[in-house]
Formats: sequence, C-alpha cells, structure tokens
Amino acid sequence: MTSFLTGIRVVSLTTGIAGPNAARMLATYGAEVFKIESRVGGLDAFRAYGDNPEASPRFIEVNLNTLSVTINLKEPRGVALVRELILKSDVVMENFRPGVATRLGLGPESLRGEKPALIYMRMPGLGSTGPLSGYGTWGPTLTAYSGFTYLWNHPGQDRPVGSQGVYPDYLTGVMAPLAVVAALLERRRTGTGSLLDMAQVDAAAYLLGTTYLDAVVNHRNPQPIGNDSPSAAPHGCYRCRGEERWCVIAVESEEQWRTLCRIMGEPALATDPRFGSIDLRRQHAGDLDAIIGAWTAERDPHDIMSALQEAGVPAGVVQTGSDLAVDPQLVARGFIERVEHPVLGEIPMAGLPLHFAGAAHEPFRSPPPLGADNRYAVCDLLGYTAEQLAQWETEQVVY
Amino acid sequence: MGQFAGKLLADLGMDVVKVEPPGGDDVRRLGPFKGDEPGLELSLRFAFLNGGKRGITLDLGAPEGRALALRLVERSDIVLDSFPPGEMERLGLGYTQLKERNPDVIAASVTGFGQDGPRAGYACPDIVGLSMGGLMFISGDPSRPPVQAPETQSYYYSCVYVALGIVMALLRRDATGIGDHIDVSVQESIATQEHMIREAAFDGVAIKRNGSQHKHTTPANVFPCKDGHVYMFILAARDWDRLLEVWADHPKELDAPELKPPHKRRQQVDMINPLIEQFTRRYTKGELTRLLQEHGVPCLPVNSPADFLAEPQVRERGLFGPVESATLGRYLTTRFPVTFDGERLESAGPAPTLGQDNAAIYSDLGIGAAELERLAARRVV
Repeated sequence: MTSFLTGIRVVSLTTGIAGPNAARMLATYGAEVFKIESRVGGLDAFRAYGDNPEASPRFIEVNLNTLSVTINLKEPRGVALVRELILKSDVVMENFRPGVATRLGLGPESLRGEKPALIYMRMPGLGSTGPLSGYGTWGPTLTAYSGFTYLWNHPGQDRPVGSQGVYPDYLTGVMAPLAVVAALLERRRTGTGSLLDMAQVDAAAYLLGTTYLDAVVNHRNPQPIGNDSPSAAPHGCYRCRGEERWCVIAVESEEQWRTLCRIMGEPALATDPRFGSIDLRRQHAGDLDAIIGAWTAERDPHDIMSALQEAGVPAGVVQTGSDLAVDPQLVARGFIERVEHPVLGEIPMAGLPLHFAGAAHEPFRSPPPLGADNRYAVCDLLGYTAEQLAQWETEQVVY
Repeated sequence: MGQFAGKLLADLGMDVVKVEPPGGDDVRRLGPFKGDEPGLELSLRFAFLNGGKRGITLDLGAPEGRALALRLVERSDIVLDSFPPGEMERLGLGYTQLKERNPDVIAASVTGFGQDGPRAGYACPDIVGLSMGGLMFISGDPSRPPVQAPETQSYYYSCVYVALGIVMALLRRDATGIGDHIDVSVQESIATQEHMIREAAFDGVAIKRNGSQHKHTTPANVFPCKDGHVYMFILAARDWDRLLEVWADHPKELDAPELKPPHKRRQQVDMINPLIEQFTRRYTKGELTRLLQEHGVPCLPVNSPADFLAEPQVRERGLFGPVESATLGRYLTTRFPVTFDGERLESAGPAPTLGQDNAAIYSDLGIGAAELERLAARRVV
C-alpha cells in the first residue's frame, strides 16, 4: 500500500510541540523526516522532561517516526552539511526566531535561489514581520495574545482563566502539514516550491473567525459566555457522583427536553411554564441548572451519558486521561496506540483521527537514539566517506 | 460540524459548492447576527464558515434530488459530509454508491465519534466533543465547573484534520489514480491534544483543571496589571535570572538557587505567583510586555477581541482582509493564516445567499431554465 508521502524528504529544524508535531505528521504519513539536533547546545527542549534525554515520553510522543541526525549549527561546516541535506530534500520546516535561519545561512532566499522546487515552511509565534516579530513566545502566551484566554471562561470572572492546554501548538501541528501538502500539490502542477509562513497566533485567531466578525460587523467586544449556547437549553456542565466527576448535557429540541424530564423521573417539569421553550429555559437557567445538577450529583457520569444518549439526548462525560485510555469507542476504533521504546517499554498514547478506507498511517515508531541516522544522511545521501564522518564526529561537527 | 473543512478548502483556492436543503442550512439560524437581527442571510457564523463557497439548494431526500447530487458528484473531486453514520448510505450517497459514479472520488465524513464502534450513533454537539475528547477536563477555574472553548472548537479542530486528509488523498490520487474515503472523529481529534492518554496510562499523572497555570513551570500564568492581564512564561533558568534582574527590588527569597530549575519553581507556585503579582501590578500590560520582552523574557498581553484587532502587529500583517457581501456589506474577516511566497491568499469572498448559484450550477449539469422551475415548484431545489 503506497503511503501518501512516500518519496518526500523533509528536514526539520524544530523544537517543542508545534514544529515537531507538524514534522511528525508528515513522517507518520510516509515522508522521510530528518530531525536535526546537536549535543552542543542544540537538543530539543522536550528532551529535558524526565531524567534521560533519550527516554523522555513527552519528546517521543511528538517526534514519532522521525530520523535523528546530530549536526552542530555553531560550526560553519555543520551549517554547510545541513544546507547540503536540505538541497537534497523536498521540504524544510523551521521554528527559529525570525531572522535566525537567514543569519545562519539557511534562509529561504538563498536555499530557494539554489533550489526553486524547495518548500520552505516557517512557523514563528507572532509572524516573521511586524513590530513584535522579535518577541519571545511560548504556546500559552500566544493563546493569550490571540483572544482565546480572554474568551475561554465563565462570564463575569474578574481574571481570565482559560485552559491549561497549548491550543496554538496543536493547531500548528495540523495546519502546517496542511499547508505543506497543499504546496506539494501546487508543485506537482508548476514544478516550483513555495515559502510558507504561518504565524502560530494567526492560526489561532483564524479559529475565532465568527467572534472577530461579530466584533468587526457589530462594533462590539465579544465577551466570554461560559457553557451557554444560543441554541440549546439546558446546555452545561454538571457535577456528578465522585471526586471531580462531571457530565455535559445539551438539549437542542423540545422532544429532547421531554425525554430528559422523563429519564430524570420528573415528567411534570416538561409542562412547567418556566421551561416551555429553549428561550424560556435560557431565561430560567439558574433554576434549571439547579434541578439538573441535583439529579446528576447522585449519579455516575458514564451512566448518565448512556441513559441520555441511548434515548437521543446529547450528553457526554467530561473525560479524564484515564477515561480516555480505556474508552470503549476509542479502543474499538484502534485509536489507542502502543509504541515500543527500547528503554521505556510499551507506551500507550493517542493515535490519529484520520481513518482511510484504502490506506493507513505508518506504524508508530519511537524516534531513534540521538544521531542514529548520521551515517545514512552524511555518507549514503551526501556521499562522504566513513572516515570523514568519523573526523567530523571527533571535531564535534557531526555531534 | 464539517463546514469549516469546506471553508479551509475554499480558502486554499478550491471551488467548493455548499449543498443546502431548500429551507436553508441550520447554521443560518445561529447567531451572532448582523445587528442582532435573526435572518437567513444575516448569520455571521454562517458567513464565516461558508465564505468563498458557491451555494445551491437541493432536497437530497427526494429521488430527483439524489439524481442531481450524483450528477454533481460526477463532476467533483471531493465529497464532504457531516451526516450521522449511515445517513449518506440511506440517501443512496454512500461511498460505494459515489464510487460507481466517480471511481476516483475522495469522500470525507466527519462525525462525533466516527463511522463505527459502540458509540458511533451518539449525538455530538460541540460541548460533547470537547468533554469526551478530554480537553474540557483541563479547561477553566478549578473552583468552578469545567468550561467549553469559544465558538465550536471541537468541530473546527477536526476539520483541520479533514482538510489535511483530503489534500494528502489528492496527492496520492494524482500519483496512483486511486480515491479514498476518510472517516474523521471529533472525539479523537480533541483526544490527540495534551498527552492526556499517555500521561494517565503510562506516566501515572492525572492532569487537573488549573486555569492557565502551566503544569511544569512558573511563573507561567495569567498575571494582573493596572489595565488588564498578561501571560508571562518563564521556563529556562536564564529567563528567571533576567526577570529578577529587571525586577531590581524583588524579594530576597526569590534569589534562592534551588528556584532555578523550572520544576522546583513549580513546586513553590503558591509562594512565587503572589509575589510576581506585586511586580506585575505596577505596570500596564503594554508597559510590562515591552519591558520584559526588551530583556528577553516571554510575556504577552491577554487580549480581548477588540485588543487583538487593534494590535499594530496584527494590522500590519494583514491577517484580516476585506469582503464585499450583498447582505452584510463590506467587512474585514480572517484570511488563511499562511502566506505563500510573502502573499496572503485573497479573502475567498462572501458566503452564498440561499440558492445563489442554482441557475449557474444546474445549467452546467444540463438542467434548462424550465426544468429548474419545475424542480423549484416541487421544492426539490
């Protein structure tokens, strides 16, 4: 079975979550991805999670299926080697601060000047241009800048709280490969590559498009709405039996409302004039949520979900990581992957949400030990001798 | 559920035809609306999700409707749907049936829980996708119930995967001549985030809801200023040293060498963060951001939508581009977040009014004006 990206070679100069996840996505679908690091101040930041840089579960999860090459970018010969490798590749991905690649001699102008078919993808936090392009950013600062942290709250909080997640990173991890594959399609027609530039904050703001339209068209500053919905009531998150157990319920029609009342054992509620329509139920949301919360508080969230969903009322468990790991739906669809690692053994982790009728992603592989693919890159692809490689290793150029 | 996938493809330059029932898509009835006046042509949600698409009306449940849909499929590369599992088959538009009419078609279906499995039939409003995928559990204030993300992020995020699957399938079809069917689950898309499965099942770590406080380091949280808030993120010891340097009169206890590693600082979060607040409250969010960034310390303002729109960084880089709409007037909207060779892709255009392209598209399918009138009278279009 042909993989989607078989024959596509990628050089990844990325660290953290966003860039590595983007490169890993291409690797998982068949591209040959060289991740470049160096023991001389050039290790991926995620190797620092855990005691052993070769066995950081967090690093492994976002670098699956990549190859490892160690080249020291502080040495001009190292930079030259990376340049040679890029010129033998189809795609280069980097998330340096703006200007760094060009200073190193690995900028898009010179590389694409020499190889117009190259696709060069960069993923700066705030953009490669503009007055703040030099600012240091991490995922949560971009979540804040984009508007997400302000909006991801219950209404009326004196301090925006937001989510612990790093949404812009996970978004970049899918949006960047989308742009790269679109550029590969374009290249097939034109023969020419592209310089792709995606500010991670732009990707996040793009996913607030309705909010920004509301702001622009209606000249207002949209505010957080918590768990409210304009088109459903009840619509919320309710405490269940057990510590930190919660369920969500979303009633989108009168039929669903009557069913919910019946399952709660409160058929009289269905004819209560306070709750006679979605608009009325939203007006009396305080009373409504108290009644539903009293019912859910004594029940297990999975039982609530099953009872409601089997009867056609949308509901869900606010699942923890432990719930996800044994979720019968995720297990039945093969979403929970088990990845072998020589030091850590078998690591369960999330799979990918794309299921193709006539294809599959590559089996998940742990990234290899640091520098495991140096010989393949330097000798087999670039044509240098084993002696030359050994010398560069001694000189800490390939290191 | 799947409208954002079509939007991504339209923004990338594809000709996307939105097929709506004759009464109009349900999203046309969802706010916010222009001027807060509900109306089929005034939904800003519909305008965003369908910008740049062409639009036709068609009753897929009528036999003539199905026949027209299949004629459209014959001339298309991609068929995108978000019906509950089994509904496309029931309509006679399942992948096998589509393939009979268009052998190398690429079909993509996005659903809450996927096409198969014990919960395939469960309903999935956005809040269910966020909660069943795990992200909601770690969102919000620990003293209050978990909170959903703004807009319908579980749908949007899944749709980015849908678009990725489609362009990969197009690339493969170009090389092999073979199409495919792509089945995307909203729950699974959300569950790819934040390492929750691995951390629970392998590391034995249960992440809890904790606002925006980062789990491995501090100061890495929202901090108050005179006029709002900033997010300050300090991981490396070097950045911690720089912060203390900028904050010349910082309390002595913060100089302790054992606070240099991020995880040690994280253990002392209840001591450190309140002290940091005393510092951040001296400044406006703009002053503090400039001061810290000048010294290399990562810090950005917590922007409201209006703040973001006013940022010179945003205005200068052209994320927002103009669209001219017959019903909404001229407005600025978010453009595709990637520039190609330094150029923004043009805004794909306004969303279609209901049935806007019926005449042109049905005429391309060989339906004459008289026939179209007959179909309209029978409410097929």
